[in-house]
Amino acid sequence: MLIMSRRQGETILIGNDIEIVIAHIGRSRVKVGIRAPRETMVVAQEVKMVGEENRAAAQAPSPAVLQILLSQLLPEAHTFPAADDEGDVRQDAGDKN
Amino acid sequence: MPEIETKNFGSISYAPESIFEFPDGLPGFEERRRFLPVQNPSAAPILFLQSLEDPGLCFTTLPIWVVDPQYRLRITEQDLEILGFPANRQPRIGSEVLCLAVLSIRPSGTTANLLAPVVVNLKTYKAVQAVSPESDYSHQHPLFPEGAAAC
Repeated sequence: MLIMSRRQGETILIGNDIEIVIAHIGRSRVKVGIRAPRETMVVAQEVKMVGEENRAAAQAPSPAVLQILLSQLLPEAHTFPAADDEGDVRQDAGDKN
Repeated sequence: MPEIETKNFGSISYAPESIFEFPDGLPGFEERRRFLPVQNPSAAPILFLQSLEDPGLCFTTLPIWVVDPQYRLRITEQDLEILGFPANRQPRIGSEVLCLAVLSIRPSGTTANLLAPVVVNLKTYKAVQAVSPESDYSHQHPLFPEGAAAC
């Protein structure tokens, strides 16, 4: 890996059309400005990682897998308070949190 | 009430005002902006997020405090702006935002994404998946660390 030392305000060029500016250097973080062509993907590494994780998570489990998951989550499932309606799927604003 | 066809729940009707709107989509699904929270009483406390734009896209989530009762939000300024909160403080889980951990269910075990919780403004239902690079949380937090696998 190429390592370069730069001061605040200095720039690095990659190829002909990508420009990286060290915009601000703080105590534990630096702010970096990036100028790149529109079609070049620029994201923090974590965002790419989360995208990959989302693709792995994008399917609801089968009923059998869901049952196993619930039994792990609630070992005492039968003592869990009964839900307040008749048991078919309902959508909810998510006030459970 | 409008109805949608879904892969997992068949046809479901919903109230339009209960839709979570992700203005920027989710990482990996940037074009998917509208999700319906679906709760099946027999699957509580799991909450499914069903895409309104893709019948086959459905995330399985848990309220974050079910996964980690000590969980602390570290939402970036940019995401706070999307949610409509001031940049100077984190919103309160439960009273101001709903905070959900997305589950990945693999044969090797179930993990929860604590690095990037889904955060929903409870007043406006604007939502983001808040990637929190400054937190030390994992995107693959084991749900059952004792080694039990879900499938």
